[in-house]
Amino acid sequence: MLPACAGCWLGMPSRTETNRNILQQVLPLGTLLLVWELVARAGVVNPYVFPPVSAIVMQWASLFGNGSIFAPLGATVWRALAGLGAAVIIGAPLGMLMGRARWAQWFFEPLFSFFFPLPKIALIPLYVHLFGLFSFSKVMLIFTDCIFPIVIFTYHGARGVSPIYPWSAQARGTSHLRMFWRVVFPLSLDSLYDGIQVAVVVAVLVAVVSEMIAGGGGLGYAMMLAFRYGDVRSAFAFLVTISLVGFFLYKVVQLLRERLLFWHVTET
Amino acid sequence: MKFMPLLLLAVLWQTASMTGLLPATVLPPFSSVVAALVSLVTSGEIFPHTAASFLRAGAGLLLAVIFGTALGLAMARVRAIQRSIEPILLSIYPVPKPALIPLFMVWLGIGDVSKIAVIALSCLVPVVISTFNGARAVDDILLWSARARGTAEHRLLWRVVLPAALPQIATGVRTAIAIALIVMVSSEFISAEHGLGYLIFSYGGVGADDAMLAVVLYLTAIGFLIDRAYVAGLRRLLAWHAFAH
Repeated sequence: MLPACAGCWLGMPSRTETNRNILQQVLPLGTLLLVWELVARAGVVNPYVFPPVSAIVMQWASLFGNGSIFAPLGATVWRALAGLGAAVIIGAPLGMLMGRARWAQWFFEPLFSFFFPLPKIALIPLYVHLFGLFSFSKVMLIFTDCIFPIVIFTYHGARGVSPIYPWSAQARGTSHLRMFWRVVFPLSLDSLYDGIQVAVVVAVLVAVVSEMIAGGGGLGYAMMLAFRYGDVRSAFAFLVTISLVGFFLYKVVQLLRERLLFWHVTET
Repeated sequence: MKFMPLLLLAVLWQTASMTGLLPATVLPPFSSVVAALVSLVTSGEIFPHTAASFLRAGAGLLLAVIFGTALGLAMARVRAIQRSIEPILLSIYPVPKPALIPLFMVWLGIGDVSKIAVIALSCLVPVVISTFNGARAVDDILLWSARARGTAEHRLLWRVVLPAALPQIATGVRTAIAIALIVMVSSEFISAEHGLGYLIFSYGGVGADDAMLAVVLYLTAIGFLIDRAYVAGLRRLLAWHAFAH
């Protein structure tokens, strides 16, 4: 009923060739940027609407230089991580409970599968009404969106725990509650981590979109403001920053996996 | 039967409202949300907005499926195309697609064209990636036996590679449908005069919470039905496929 595949969630790309040299990687992107620069400089398009790459880079550098990017950057990252953290704290135990207890599965599975296709962004007006205009409503929305991948992945993880482990723990006299903490929790950490990896991308997306729509600071708001003033260079600079934040957080989560789950037997 | 818990939740909501635990200023009672939904449907008000929204999402999705499948197949078959497209695709991937909405509005105007373009671009990425992965994973034996039976090289793509990759492509399209809905609603929040996103935003703006929630509920139900219909249709369509369960 619920999507089970880890990679298919947001169409996550996987690198197909690892032993590729840097030049081949950079060449297509470099060509694209060069063509962009030349087209923008050739005067065929309005440079205010379609600024050359070099002008965007300069503007980006100056946003860092005068420090004006740090406040919105901090706000967006803070909101994304707070929402994600809340989703992990609530969602991980819930997913595991759903995976191990019949009644929890009976109650929660239909709720998650019914609300799964709803674009949670549609709840922005409701959340602004319930939780106010400022950070709290945004963190709550990020939480609402992120809890779906977290719950769904841990649910599948806890369900997929090989019965041999609980059996042998039971044979050695482990109680129900301890079983949850000592056996099911460690064994579903791997899928929880898959969920976090999806959710971190979602968190940045929802943070930015909610800032674009409801305002209240952050990179999304700063970008919208730049567009309103017709400052397309700054808007591009913010867009690049937003993309880098998403990419960077995703990479950090990916790199931490080997550190945190080094002991985990990951079947490949 | 399976969706009993949803009913239970609705009953809980209604009793909380009726006993005064949940004041109507915080959340209107479930019954008035249902009443608002009924009047939106019986007055016919919601239908032009539904049509406007799903025309945008459908057009963007269709473009993404057509171009995405073609591009994915080309990448899987021709090395040079893969080498030039893949780095660009990987660099577009981390861009939160709704953040492109204002940019496309500056370029293409605030009408439907910019919305459809953003939806198409957002949906393109998962379709290309799944098609590429699916087409690369095609069993060589299928290709060999097709060749041995005299299938021309240019027909292999259409007759063998595309059908064999269909399950993977279908998974990518399912992701694309979800993304299309997200971008559709966000773009209508940012600027629109029609559409379900516009309706939610304008009802929320005037404090008509019951009507706003009614539209959210309506959108949830439609999203759910689309997803279910898609999966069910796929199961029938791919029943012949060796990988279909």
